[in-house]
Amino acid sequence: MDLDKDNANPTILNPSDLPSRRRESNTGKRDDGGSGLFDNLIPRYNYLSDPFDDPVSASDSNDDVVENIDEQEIYDLISTIADPEHPLSLGSLAVVNLPDIHILPPISPQSSVSTVVVEITPTITHCSLATVIGLGVRVRLEQALPPRFRIDVRIKKGTHSTDEAVNKQLGDKERVAAALENGTLMGVLRKMLSTCE
Amino acid sequence: MSTPTPMITRLSTLSPPSNSRTWQTAPHPTQPIVATACSDRSVRIYSLTSFTLLHAITGGHKRSVRSCSWKPHTQGQNVLATGSFDSSAGIWRKDDGDRLEHEVSREIGDEESEDAEEYQFSCILDGHESEIKSLTWSPSGQYLATCSRDKSVWIWEELEDDNFETVAVLQEHDGDVKCVAWHPEEDLLVSSSYDDTVRFYREDQDDWVQVAVVEGHGMTVWWVEFEGGKADKHDFRAQREGLQDTQLQHIEALERSGPRLATCSDDCTVRIWRRKPREGANTQNSGMPSIIRSAAIDEDWYQEAILPRAHDRAIYSVSWSRTTGLLVSAGSDGKIVVYKERWRSQESNGTTNGAAMEGVEGADGAAATEETETSPTEWVVVAEIFSAHDVFEINHVTWAKRADKGKRWDGEEVVISTGDEGEVRVWTLDEAVSRL
Repeated sequence: MDLDKDNANPTILNPSDLPSRRRESNTGKRDDGGSGLFDNLIPRYNYLSDPFDDPVSASDSNDDVVENIDEQEIYDLISTIADPEHPLSLGSLAVVNLPDIHILPPISPQSSVSTVVVEITPTITHCSLATVIGLGVRVRLEQALPPRFRIDVRIKKGTHSTDEAVNKQLGDKERVAAALENGTLMGVLRKMLSTCE
Repeated sequence: MSTPTPMITRLSTLSPPSNSRTWQTAPHPTQPIVATACSDRSVRIYSLTSFTLLHAITGGHKRSVRSCSWKPHTQGQNVLATGSFDSSAGIWRKDDGDRLEHEVSREIGDEESEDAEEYQFSCILDGHESEIKSLTWSPSGQYLATCSRDKSVWIWEELEDDNFETVAVLQEHDGDVKCVAWHPEEDLLVSSSYDDTVRFYREDQDDWVQVAVVEGHGMTVWWVEFEGGKADKHDFRAQREGLQDTQLQHIEALERSGPRLATCSDDCTVRIWRRKPREGANTQNSGMPSIIRSAAIDEDWYQEAILPRAHDRAIYSVSWSRTTGLLVSAGSDGKIVVYKERWRSQESNGTTNGAAMEGVEGADGAAATEETETSPTEWVVVAEIFSAHDVFEINHVTWAKRADKGKRWDGEEVVISTGDEGEVRVWTLDEAVSRL
């Protein structure tokens, strides 16, 4: 459904290599899979699904109202965002990658707030559009995820010349809010997110 | 570890709430009303007596209203300043009318009687190049300070009604200016910023200049607020009998410093800053007037304390009760935390620590204040509540005088929190924590 069929360029990931729910649940394929990318993903899934499968934590009173969301779902929400420059998805450009998505559970048992951390990898170290891409990811997740998630979007360390400055902007709620009231910027974002349906 | 008894309880949610993000709520200096800045470009005025909406100010701003501030000491009318993401500030007025009658009619359900009285747009203050983040009147009402993403702080003076003059444009910061606050007794302005610093300004020979800068927060400083004027009559300083000499000296030194400053930041800390009392304050009288700006106007502010860490995400707001000296903070993690300052127990042999402290002593002992070694006081968490706005972030928190029928004692205060979901909530504190 979310496969991107436009990629003819070899530097672009093949859609069938992109992580997807279908493959994750298909245990048969896991066994004969030789891809390093895929191997790396398996322990992460197991680790993350553990708390949900654990009967002890399942008895928690919160569980019936809190629907479980995992990294793959986050990935599915943002990998289809269109790059602002190319007619390609952030997933196929490897700007967003499943291993760089983390869901942190509530810090205290009294809190119901989880955190989604997404590290994005700009295609080149001087990519001036890194902020816009990061903003697109943040906006997409804010719109799609339940409000109990806090969303931290960062540039992956060492992949961008001004990653600290970009991270600060992306983490600034007030700046993000003001950006969303800016018609020009919203036009760009809307275009990026139009491929997400 | 775990909070003992719930020391903080929700009293009400102001009704009806906004259906989009609310940013900040300003209690009126004397009347039982609050103004809430809303992202739907409006300001909502609620009653703290009935907890219902009295007025909605709409049709003025083209973007989010981020901040609002009541002008103090107005006669016969209410004056509200609003700061917006549309880069402008607005001034709104409403004649007082018969406020008492108005409140009564509201309570007996006669909703129609006062609709004629609405807030009227009065004038617009243009000048900032981008979003206004915060604005606030000086305690005398003479000045209005505004700050913006354009990195500047502007000071406006109202010469006569609706005639505002720009008296200063301060461009010391290297990033968005997030918040401005006035000293309660002096014409001393402070601003905090995206550049992680806090800066102080004063008028010197007709020019407003920076007189101090403090660094310490490793990240954006979201809010600054001065200690209130009368809190020292009621907080740990109130009971002086039986204090040791070092404690009495500490109180005297604090008096010379004057009101302290509280700041909160993206770095998840709340910090207290204090002015170093000027040594030989009268030497400047004998000195010759200098062409160069006298060093005498510069101030030395230093970090007095870091409060026990109670938040795990950005802290957007901190507020200092002018009545009790309690501090309250809130932010992205959705918690409201109340702190109290007290004498360090090992030195004071249990002078003023009442029963209020007993319950939390064990829980928060580990999170003791990390202030400078020698300070004879420490801050402890006396109340906290998780998920105060359900799963939503809290953008602002402040104190107001309680005004509903359930008021338990004269001077009782409530905490007012403003959330991302559009709700403004009113909280009461356990009597043991907040009663003077």
